[in-house]
Amino acid sequence: MKLPVLLLAAIAIASFAGPPLAAALDIDPQAVELLDRLAGPSVSHPLGTDELGRDVLFRLLKGGRVSLSIGIAAAIAAAALGTAIGLAAGYLGGWTDRALMRATDALIALPLLPLLIVLAAIDLDKLGLPARLIQSDDVSLVRILALTVLVGWTTSARLVRGATLITRNRDFVRAARSLGAGTPHILWLHILPNVLGPLIVAATLSVADVILLESVLSFLGLGIQPPLASWGSMLSNAQELIATAPMLAVYPGLMIFLTVIACNLFGDALQQRLDPRQRRS
Amino acid sequence: MMRFTAIRLVEIAAMLVLMSFVIYALIGLMPGDPIDLMRSADPRMSAVDVARLKLAYGLDRPLLERYLAWAREALAGDLGYSRLFAEPVAAALLPRLGNSLALMGSSFVIAFAVALGLGTVAARRPQSRLDTAINLFCFAGVSVPTFWLALVLILVFAAGLGWLPASGIAAAGTSDIGDRLRHLVLPVATLSLASAGGYTRYVRAAMREALGQDHIRTARAKGASEARVVFHHALRPALVPVTTILALSFGGLVSGALVTETMFAYPGMGKLIFDAVMGNDYNLALSALLLAAATAMLANLAADLAYGWLDPRVVYR
Amino acid sequence: MHGSNVFREAGLSHWRVQWGLVLGFGFSLASAPPLEAAERDALAIGITQFPSTLNPNIDAMAAKSYVLGLALQPFTAYDAEWKLVCLLCAKLPSIENGLAVPVDLPNGKKGIDITYTIRPDAYWGDGVPVTSADVVFTYEVGRNPQSAVSSGELYRRISGIDVKDDKTFTMHVDKLTFDYAAINDFVLLPSHVEKEAFADAAQYRVRTRYATDPTNPGLYNGPYRISEIAAGSHILLEPNPHWAGPPGHFKQITVRTIENTAALEANLLSGTIDMVAGELGLPLDEGLAFEKRHPDAFHIVYKPGLVYEHIDLNLDQPALADRRVREALIFGLDRDAISRSLFAGRQPVADSFVNPIDAGYSNETPHYHYDPAQAGQLLDEAGWQAGPDGVRRDAHGNRLSLELMTTAGNRSRELVEQVVQSQWRKIGVDARIKNEPARVLFGETVPHRRFDMAMYAWISSPENVPRSILHSSEIPNDANGFAGQNASGFKSEAMDHLIDALEIELDQDKRNSLWAEAQRLYATELPSLPLYFRSDVFILPKWLSGVRPTGNQSPTTLWITDWTAQP
Repeated sequence: MKLPVLLLAAIAIASFAGPPLAAALDIDPQAVELLDRLAGPSVSHPLGTDELGRDVLFRLLKGGRVSLSIGIAAAIAAAALGTAIGLAAGYLGGWTDRALMRATDALIALPLLPLLIVLAAIDLDKLGLPARLIQSDDVSLVRILALTVLVGWTTSARLVRGATLITRNRDFVRAARSLGAGTPHILWLHILPNVLGPLIVAATLSVADVILLESVLSFLGLGIQPPLASWGSMLSNAQELIATAPMLAVYPGLMIFLTVIACNLFGDALQQRLDPRQRRS
Repeated sequence: MMRFTAIRLVEIAAMLVLMSFVIYALIGLMPGDPIDLMRSADPRMSAVDVARLKLAYGLDRPLLERYLAWAREALAGDLGYSRLFAEPVAAALLPRLGNSLALMGSSFVIAFAVALGLGTVAARRPQSRLDTAINLFCFAGVSVPTFWLALVLILVFAAGLGWLPASGIAAAGTSDIGDRLRHLVLPVATLSLASAGGYTRYVRAAMREALGQDHIRTARAKGASEARVVFHHALRPALVPVTTILALSFGGLVSGALVTETMFAYPGMGKLIFDAVMGNDYNLALSALLLAAATAMLANLAADLAYGWLDPRVVYR
Repeated sequence: MHGSNVFREAGLSHWRVQWGLVLGFGFSLASAPPLEAAERDALAIGITQFPSTLNPNIDAMAAKSYVLGLALQPFTAYDAEWKLVCLLCAKLPSIENGLAVPVDLPNGKKGIDITYTIRPDAYWGDGVPVTSADVVFTYEVGRNPQSAVSSGELYRRISGIDVKDDKTFTMHVDKLTFDYAAINDFVLLPSHVEKEAFADAAQYRVRTRYATDPTNPGLYNGPYRISEIAAGSHILLEPNPHWAGPPGHFKQITVRTIENTAALEANLLSGTIDMVAGELGLPLDEGLAFEKRHPDAFHIVYKPGLVYEHIDLNLDQPALADRRVREALIFGLDRDAISRSLFAGRQPVADSFVNPIDAGYSNETPHYHYDPAQAGQLLDEAGWQAGPDGVRRDAHGNRLSLELMTTAGNRSRELVEQVVQSQWRKIGVDARIKNEPARVLFGETVPHRRFDMAMYAWISSPENVPRSILHSSEIPNDANGFAGQNASGFKSEAMDHLIDALEIELDQDKRNSLWAEAQRLYATELPSLPLYFRSDVFILPKWLSGVRPTGNQSPTTLWITDWTAQP
C-alpha cells in the first residue's frame, strides 16, 4: 500500500510544486526561446528543451498538474456516477434496470466526435458561465473534464450492475433483507464491497484512458489550448518529432506510465483492504 | 428467457430509432457545412456556387424534413447514396466493414487469448515476480498511446528491418490473401498489444476474486486437480466481469479503430465513420453509426443472457 | 517497451502463430526496398488525401487534381515559371495573334470571343478523338444548375460556344479580363461516355461514369489512365495506349494515400512509396526535420507557393481599428526569426498577398522590420500605456488583450502562434490563444466575424485579383449570405477602384503599376498582418529527374511525361 501512495504523492507534489518552483528559480516554462530549440539535457535544462525552446522538465511538471487533475478527477467522478447507476440498476431491477441500461446503451452508441465538435462550438457566455472562466486558460480543461465524466461512466455502470446481479441473491444479502435491513444499508455494507473488484480495475484503468484521450483530442484539434501543456498534448506534439527528438515523447509517456502504475497498484491495495473475502496468499 | 430476449430486441429497435434522430441532429448541429468549407479551399467558388450546390444536394431543406426523408427510405431498405464516396452506401460500407472485421476480429481474439492466459497465471501466483512482470506489461500496454506504438512498429519492422509493409491493405495490382495477411500483421499487433494489457487486468482481478471464494477451498479440500479448480470452478463466475468488458469491446468490431487505421492507411470503419461525420455525409454516417450501435446493444444483450448462464445466482426480475 | 522476459516469451508465442500462418502460405517476407541498378519502370507516390469522386468538375479537391493531372489534360495551365501554357489546345489565343477578339456587348460592357483549337493528336483512352462535341457537352453540364459542378463561375462567364469544326470552337465570354485565355478549370468530359449519365441532370453526380466505372479508359485523355482503385488506400495508373504525345517513362504509377505525416515518412523510408508529393505531403517543418535526418538519401526540393499565411485583423474591434495599433503589432513581430528558426529560412517573409515570383510583385511595398521600440512608441501614441502586469492599458483601464485564433491541430500554425504570443507579450499585448477545429473556424467564426485576430491562409493563383478578400462588397454579412472572404472588414474606396481596374487592364505594364499601388495600400493599411508564403516540400528519390514543382495550383503531375528514372 505504501509504495503506490508514495509514488502518486511524489508525482502530484512535483507537479503542483512546479510552477512556484519555476517562479522562484526565475524560469518561465512558457518562455519561447527560438534560438534554443530541441536542445539536449544541460544544467539549466535538465531534460532539454522542446520545439519552441521551452524547458521540458517544467513543462512536464506543469503538464502533470493538468493531466493528473483531469485524469484522477474524471476517473473518480465517472466511477462514482457509474457505481450509483449500476447499483440502482442491478439491485432494483425491473423498470429501473431497463431504463438505466437503455440510457447506458444510448450513450455507448452516441458518436463522440460530432458531440465534441458541437461542444467545441458552443458559445460559452450563452451558458451563463462567468466571463473570467471563459477567458482563462482553464476553460478547455473544464470542458474536457465535463465530457469525460459525461461519457465515461458507462463501463463502471455495466460492471457494477453485473456484479450486483450476482451478489444480490447471495445468502447473506437475503438474510440481511429478511432481517429488515433497508436498501441503502444493504447496498453500502453488503453489495458494494463485493462489487469493488472490477470497479477498481475500471477506475484505475480509466485514469490512463482519460490522459491518453486528451492526447487523441489534441491530435484532432479538440484538446487543451496552447500554450497550456498536458502530458497528452506533449505526446501529440512529439509525434512528428519522433525521429528528431524521441525523448520528447518518452518523457510524458514515462510519466503516464508511472502514474498508471501508481494508480493501479493503489487500486489493488485498496481492493485487498476493502474486500471482505480476499485473503493474502 | 425468450420473453426477456424478445422484449429486449424490441427495446433495441426503439433505441435505434431514437439514436438515428439524435445522431442526425448532432451531425446537423456541427458548425461548418463541407460545402461552406469547400469555398475556403477553392478560391474560384463563389456564394452563388455554394447556394446552388446546397440546393443540388438537398441541404437547403430543414433538418427534420431531411431526417424524415432519410428515415422513410431507410425503412424501405434504401440506405441512400454516399456523397463522399460517390457510390451507394452499401457499396461504400461493405468492403470497409470486411476490413474492420478482419482487423478488429483478429486483434480481439489475440488480445483476449493473451489476457485469459496471463490474467489467470497472474491470479494464481499473486505478489510473485511473475505477477509483477505481467502487471508491468499491462501497465505499459495501457499507458502507451496507440499512434506512438503504431509508429514505432512501422519504423522498426517496415522502415528498419523491411520485413513487413508499412501501410495499406494490399500491394497495388495484387489481391492474393497472403499479401493481405502481411498487411494485417502490424495493425493487428498494434491493437492487440494496446488492448491486451487492460483485458489482462480485468481477468486477473476477476480470477483472484473467484479463486478466493469458499467453494474453491472446498473443491481443493475435496482433492480436485488444480486444472479442474481453475477451469471448472473458478473460471465461470470470474467470467462475469470479463463478459461485460468483452461485450463493451464488441461494438468496436464495427466502429473500428480510428487512430490505428489512420497510421496504417488501413481503410476500415473507424476512418469511414470519422470521414463521414466530418464530411457531413449523413447517409453514410448514419448507416455506419447505427450498425455500430446495433452491434454494441446486441452484444450487451448477449452479455446479459450470458450472466445467467455463467452464474446461476443471477436472476432477472 | 517495459516488459521482462515473461512478456517477451508470451508475446513471441503469439508472434510465432502469426508468422506460422504467413509462412504457411509460402510467402517471402522481404519487402522490396528500392532497387539499385535495374531499370525502374514503376513509381509510387505518397499523398496525404484520397480523392473522393474522380469527376473533374464535381467536388474540387487537391488530391483529385493531382491524380487527374496524370490522366486528364486541361486546356491551359500555369507552368513552373507561372506562364500560361497550352496543354490540350494547339495554340494559346491572344489578342495579338488574333485568336481572341474583344467585342462590345449590348449592355455597354466589353466581352471577348476566344477561339481555341484542340490538338489534332488528342484522343480519349478508348481511341475516340477529343472533339468540340466534348467541349459543348462539358459546357452544358457546367451551366446546368442541378449538375453539382463545384465552380460555376467559369461557365457563367461563357455566354455561348460556336463550333467551327471538330477541333475548333469559339467561346463568347461576357467579361473582358486580362487573363481571358486561362480556362484552366475547363476540364473536358468525354461526351461519348458521359452523355448517358447526364440524361437526368439531377442524377448526374450519382450516375457519372467517373464514379460508377472509374477504370473505363474512355474517361481519360492524358498520358495515363486509371486502372485500379482501392478506395481510401491507393490508385493505380497505367499508360494510355491512345496517348499520342511523348510517352511517360513509367509503366506503372501508384498513388498511395497515407494521411498521417509521420507514417508517410516511415512509408518513404521503407520503400512502400518512392516520393512524397509536395502539394499534399509533409508540412515544411517536418520536411526540414526529415532532411536533417536523411541529408543524402533523397533529393529534397522546396518550392514557395501561392498559399499566403497571414493574420486577419478584425477592423471592427476597437483596439484594432486604430492603424497605429496594427502597425505596432507588425513592428512587434520578429518574422525573420520565425522564418529562420522554425522554417530554416525556407519560407521568406511576405510583405503583402502578392508572391515575389508573381508578375505583379512590387519591391517598393513597405517592409516592416522587427522594431519593438517603434512598436512601443506607436502604442503609446495610440493611448495604450504600460500596465502593472506587463499588459498595456488604455485611458479607461482596459487591458490590451485580444484573442488569437487558428485551426486547432495544425502544429505548424500552433507553433507560430505561440511564438507570436510571446513576442507580443514583450510589447505589452496580451494575445489569448483560442484555437478551433477548421470547420468551426471557417464555417462559423470567420464568416460571422466573431474573432479579433485569425491566422490562416489564402490560396490564390498567378496574378489573382484580390476581389473576394479585399473588396468592400465582399465583407461577409447578411446581404451576401456571409459568403464573402473579406473577413477583416476592409473598406477602402481606393482599393475597390484598384480591383475593378486591375481586372480589365490588358496592358502588363499598366497592370504592374496598379498592382504596385494595391500592394502599397494593403501594406500601409494592414487589414491583415503578412506572415509568409508557405513552401511545399517535395521529397524525391535520387534516381528520379524531371520533376518541376510549379508552386501554383497546377499540379506537378501535368508534366509527368518529363519525369524520367536514371537507372
